[in-house]
Amino acid sequence: MPRVRNLRQRLDDMAAVLERRPHLLRLGRLFNETILIEVDQDEFYLTFEKGRVVEIKEGPSKKLPWRFALRAKGDALREFWQPLPKPGFHDIFGLVKYGNGSIDGDILTLVKNLRYFKEFMALGRKEGFS
Amino acid sequence: MKSSIEPIVGRYVNVTVGNARQRIYFEEAGQGRPVVCLHTAGADTRQWRSVLNDEAFTRSHRFIAFDMPWHGKSLPPEGFETEEYLLSTETYMETVLAFCRAAGLEKPLLAGCSMGGRIALQLAALHPESFSGFIAIEASDFQPAWYDIDWFHRPDAHGGEMGAALVSANIAPQAPDAERWTTLWMFMQSGPGVFRGDLSFYTSDDSLVGRLGSIDTRRTPVHIMCGEYDMTCTPEDAQRTAAAIKGSTLAIMKDLGHFPMSENPTAFRAYFKAALERVTRVPAGLMDA
Repeated sequence: MPRVRNLRQRLDDMAAVLERRPHLLRLGRLFNETILIEVDQDEFYLTFEKGRVVEIKEGPSKKLPWRFALRAKGDALREFWQPLPKPGFHDIFGLVKYGNGSIDGDILTLVKNLRYFKEFMALGRKEGFS
Repeated sequence: MKSSIEPIVGRYVNVTVGNARQRIYFEEAGQGRPVVCLHTAGADTRQWRSVLNDEAFTRSHRFIAFDMPWHGKSLPPEGFETEEYLLSTETYMETVLAFCRAAGLEKPLLAGCSMGGRIALQLAALHPESFSGFIAIEASDFQPAWYDIDWFHRPDAHGGEMGAALVSANIAPQAPDAERWTTLWMFMQSGPGVFRGDLSFYTSDDSLVGRLGSIDTRRTPVHIMCGEYDMTCTPEDAQRTAAAIKGSTLAIMKDLGHFPMSENPTAFRAYFKAALERVTRVPAGLMDA
């Protein structure tokens, strides 16, 4: 399953980069949630504590609770992670608006932590990632 | 060596709109044809800082940008503490017209962005006699909200920070970091409930849709501009709107989003230069008039 391995590796890399972003750890200091990132049919449950990713579990799972979910098409997410994504792929809400993804669950928790979460997702764009 | 003091000068003017006395802050720079500049929802005049500081523009144009009441340095009216701020098309138009009268401006050009572009098109339809042309930026007839406007005014969260995080979706990835974050700062600073009150007007009043056909571009030219990364007023929204205004022109702007003059002034410059030239031309039909 190289596809899953690649995605898992990227999420692991993002979690590692997060550790080197003091401003994000400060912004996320009250963020203690598990969120679901679903890419095509692959599920990843990311548990955050005080703004740090402390665990990533791979699905599928019908038991793991999550606060909100970002579901995206794999191709769209790969474009999102380009250094200069095309219009509509440059933001998680762009993925939703143009039918390449969806967000559900406790949206208010997402919105309250929106800058933090969007910047976390954008860490996948940093140089050095394939 | 270039002086560190910018040419922009700020002053206040007092106007009455409806029953409310409003103390309005405005900035201006340049000499020549007057251009009134309108900011977007949830922000203020500082979005126009680079245009007002650009000698290529201010040599031939006098730019006047004002903060809408409740925004920037314009205070909310007396009694605001018990009022729910909800902007309406009528109040917005009256405010623009009252400002132009109070500032002694004779038929200025009107350049507005986002809700400022929307109201520019409303004024093009309903009060064209007061202006000499319209530049409607990130402007369209109507789009419903793709977000819940009530997110931005609640007691348990900071509406400004949430608003900024949301509208960052509308900034192109090519925007320089310094200009991106200056643009977002204005949203972070916005007064409680103000962004929501602006969006209430912007996302619920579709009265412009039926008025587009009445805009007479032979008398007052209309130029519409839209950034390719704008998700709120998309290029498709702008194209639909331009198609409904006979004689209007449209520019889709590369590498730009919903706040082009603020998020990336360098990329915006050539498009705005072309826009000013476009609305300065005397319409062919009026040459003999």
